[in-house]
Amino acid sequence: MYRKHRVIFALLAIFALIMVDHLHSPTFAFNTGQGNARTSLNQLDVGACAPCGAPCPSSRD
Amino acid sequence: MSNLTETFSSNPADALVKAEAKSTGIRIDGFVVLVALIGLGLLGTLIYMETAPFLVGLFFLGGLLGVALYHGAFGFTAGWRNLIVKKESAGLRAQLILIALASLLMIPVLGSGQPGMVGAVAPVGLSLIVGSFLFGLGMQLGGGCGSGTLFTVGAGNLRMTVTLIFFIIGSLVGTFHLPWWLDRPGTDPISLISGFGVTGALIVQGIALLAVYLWIRKVEQKSHGHVSHADIQFRPGEKGWGATLLTGRWPFMWAVVVLAVGNLLTLLISGSPWSITFAFGLWGAKVAQAFGMDMSQYEFWTWDFPAQALRDSVLVNVTSVMNFGLLLGAMLAAGLANNFNATGKNLPQLKPFLAAIIGGLLMGYGARLGFGCNVGAFFSGIASASLHGWIWFASAFLGSIIGVKLRPKFSLPD
Repeated sequence: MYRKHRVIFALLAIFALIMVDHLHSPTFAFNTGQGNARTSLNQLDVGACAPCGAPCPSSRD
Repeated sequence: MSNLTETFSSNPADALVKAEAKSTGIRIDGFVVLVALIGLGLLGTLIYMETAPFLVGLFFLGGLLGVALYHGAFGFTAGWRNLIVKKESAGLRAQLILIALASLLMIPVLGSGQPGMVGAVAPVGLSLIVGSFLFGLGMQLGGGCGSGTLFTVGAGNLRMTVTLIFFIIGSLVGTFHLPWWLDRPGTDPISLISGFGVTGALIVQGIALLAVYLWIRKVEQKSHGHVSHADIQFRPGEKGWGATLLTGRWPFMWAVVVLAVGNLLTLLISGSPWSITFAFGLWGAKVAQAFGMDMSQYEFWTWDFPAQALRDSVLVNVTSVMNFGLLLGAMLAAGLANNFNATGKNLPQLKPFLAAIIGGLLMGYGARLGFGCNVGAFFSGIASASLHGWIWFASAFLGSIIGVKLRPKFSLPD
């Protein structure tokens, strides 16, 4: 049987980590008016050779 | 199973859920349902306020996929193990039907050549073979694959939380080594759409999927004298349609439809198919960076896509956003099934704990070398008509056979 406070604590911890990451990001800087911040709302790299962004083996020296 | 009398508190919202549950004869865990809904609402609002509407859509789509995985008990790992150990093929046959349906939906879209849309294609070479083999081995020791690990963690499984932590560590190490592996023998991605066109790719895929389907069906027939039709079952059990939809367990076909359409929607909304494990490496890299590690010394994190993801918020990384939704969706489903933290009363034993660590590390490292997991490489890869998906399947299945043989050494059941 789980403890309710542990469930809430675990979710709050994850939420806090997400917030810390977000508050230090270019997207947050952009949203707060720093127009020169480089956001990456669309990170899709159509030139990559794999979903993780790896280059093609043929393009490597 | 959690105790209802303790689960429902004097909280008004809990009381409301309790009242509804009573009126429908459904036993749900009101606390978990409420917390999951609040989590979905809070994070969804944050994503809406700070990013873009398409990411909100992907977040809730992730939630729906989490519900489907949990309620459908759609474990890739158990499906493979049941075939290897018990010669029962319904689970794997359901996976093949899932991939066939997703192929029908996604290959024409990918073949239409719309700009800004790419399939889950990846290089074919030693990196893929070694990575997928390690992943297959690791998923039998870890107790779940990429999606399985995530949805069981969402459902409150502590052992799988250990697996996830080491999955993340393994993924991070994999990002350090992937460039070296890429320089080993291999070729650029091979797309069946490029080779045969949309119709040709659909025919080739259809024949290959049917051949595997019939073969494993024959294995079951030979071993048991009959074949279970659980994979194509659409009608719910005795609980009825509504109660089964809400509290599970869904027939395989319900999950198949939701997962296949969900993958198509992911492709249409984000521009690429559903994947899971890239986010694990990313989360590990962000933690390592927070502890002062300079990630730019590793080639992987200098490539455009990983570098962008590392630099910016996890809330603008599609894989992370969908994973958050999936975790909360699985938590919601587990609450609705009154089954959250069902294994929590069992104290972790040393050997299974060790298996979770080794399995997590192998899956993480293997997923990076193999360009994804059961979702990103196997499901999305084959549904994108990429040859690497098929090679991933074969190699990971071989790894799973070894993994299944190792399970008794870690006191893990068949």
